[in-house]
Amino acid sequence: MQEVRGNMSHVDDGTLHAYLDGELALVERARLEAHVAECAACRSRLEEERALIARASGLLGLAQPPERAAPPLHELRRPSVVWRLRVPVAWAATVVLALGLGYYAGDRTSMSAAPEPVAMYSADSSAARDAQPNDRLGLATSPPRMFRTSPQSQAPAQARPLAAAERKQEERQPLVVVDGAPLASRLDTASVGASAANGVVAIRNRDTGAANVAPAPVPAADSASARPTARAALPQRALEEVTTSNAYVQRSDARVALVATQWPIIRRGPARQILGAEPMGVPGLAVRNIRRSPTGEVVLVEQAIDSVTVIQLFQERAENDQYASRTYSWSDSARPRQQAGGVQVRGGTAGTERLARFIGGVRVEIAGPLSADSLNRLLEQVKPIGP
Amino acid sequence: MPEDLAEVYRSTYRSLVRFLYRKVWDAERAEDLAQEAFARALVHKPENARGWLFVVAANMARDDARKAARERRHLTLLKSEPDAVHSDPEDRIDADAKRERVRTALDLLTPRDREALLLWDAGMSYDEIATQTGLARGAIGTTLARARRRLVEACDAGSEGQHVARG
Repeated sequence: MQEVRGNMSHVDDGTLHAYLDGELALVERARLEAHVAECAACRSRLEEERALIARASGLLGLAQPPERAAPPLHELRRPSVVWRLRVPVAWAATVVLALGLGYYAGDRTSMSAAPEPVAMYSADSSAARDAQPNDRLGLATSPPRMFRTSPQSQAPAQARPLAAAERKQEERQPLVVVDGAPLASRLDTASVGASAANGVVAIRNRDTGAANVAPAPVPAADSASARPTARAALPQRALEEVTTSNAYVQRSDARVALVATQWPIIRRGPARQILGAEPMGVPGLAVRNIRRSPTGEVVLVEQAIDSVTVIQLFQERAENDQYASRTYSWSDSARPRQQAGGVQVRGGTAGTERLARFIGGVRVEIAGPLSADSLNRLLEQVKPIGP
Repeated sequence: MPEDLAEVYRSTYRSLVRFLYRKVWDAERAEDLAQEAFARALVHKPENARGWLFVVAANMARDDARKAARERRHLTLLKSEPDAVHSDPEDRIDADAKRERVRTALDLLTPRDREALLLWDAGMSYDEIATQTGLARGAIGTTLARARRRLVEACDAGSEGQHVARG
């Protein structure tokens, strides 16, 4: 434990940071506050460190990944891995698979003059052309043939519509999930799968039921850094989500998720520690998240009124106000994102114009996309939310 | 009793992506790794899922960084991350430059300081950071204080250098 000796000695940096992070035990906290109340030097250091924390947190905020909704957890519930390909790589891999197949089919055609594989190849390539905006991806329309299949590796007899049994087997095989944006529309008409187990690549057109199975070397998938994985039936949601990887599209229900995302989500325990009391909420409303401010002194409880409306309850110890010269206010981090997400915040610059109320030793402010009247009424109901 | 993984997923996924992003510096890669970490958690059902996830994620990021150093570094540099706030190209370039500065500054921290800082920023408590890094709980404040100071100093130094370079 860090040393805080009442009024006798000054406070070290680590203790100041622990205090500002809301991670100092109660006794130490009280000692530090007693010391800071009497020691001007430590008081100014406290403010310096508070500014430093805000500064560091702001800098880290500049290095954020773009916000994208998480795929549903159950889609990850598969044997090994859900390994997603980059869109261009997915597209390239698809083309390579198609070309490899066509190349192979071409070989077969020249050798056996069988018409089906050629028809199959052209059908698939036109489907791929229709659905894949390759201009956007900036990829050449005719990538080099990257592999050549060995004619002996599999019987040419398989270049025909997939028999029911084969199809069934294929569905059980682990398939490569190629969930790139262009694929979202393409998946409706064709499924692409590669099985590392037997080195079979299948491109099947669902509309016609026509399918083609041709041997292909597994490295096609490996070189594209794909890993074989179970092909979950990707629901539209997941596909929509992936479409954001090239052109960022803001999902409507991602709006609420954008609010104050620089504030890490915490559990009830740490929130209780910051507040010195149970976190507050409106009874009967689902708690979406409990967050803390980057400086660790404000707790934010987000509660859902319905699927798109979320209210925010900013809470801090009432006595925090005695250190009023806070250099970092939550509105700094929350506001731009709230604007981006279209969520209204009462009060403009300072964040102090929100409706606020003291409950026990905790100051609670409410914000949300509702009228002041409604917010006020909700605020009146706020009380500690029990464990 | 193991925590409900669905709940952990909901509350921790974004933090884990952010944590990973600052290690691999590729948003999609970070998402892939986070999802794999959760996929593994579904299989392993760890007691303390949150802590376990961050350990697994940190290991995967380290392996990934080694691989990336071999194969993909140039690709990562070519790629520009989409950004919800900055749509204007100038803003984008500005945001990219700032991110690069933060990245460079983070790289200048000691691994231990950096880890503590990233874990704190991902929402971990001092106790959790202590467990994760093997540091004493009482040393976390000091570690974070040092990490923050160095990050800010390195960023400031970087931006001064930039201004000088630009004239």
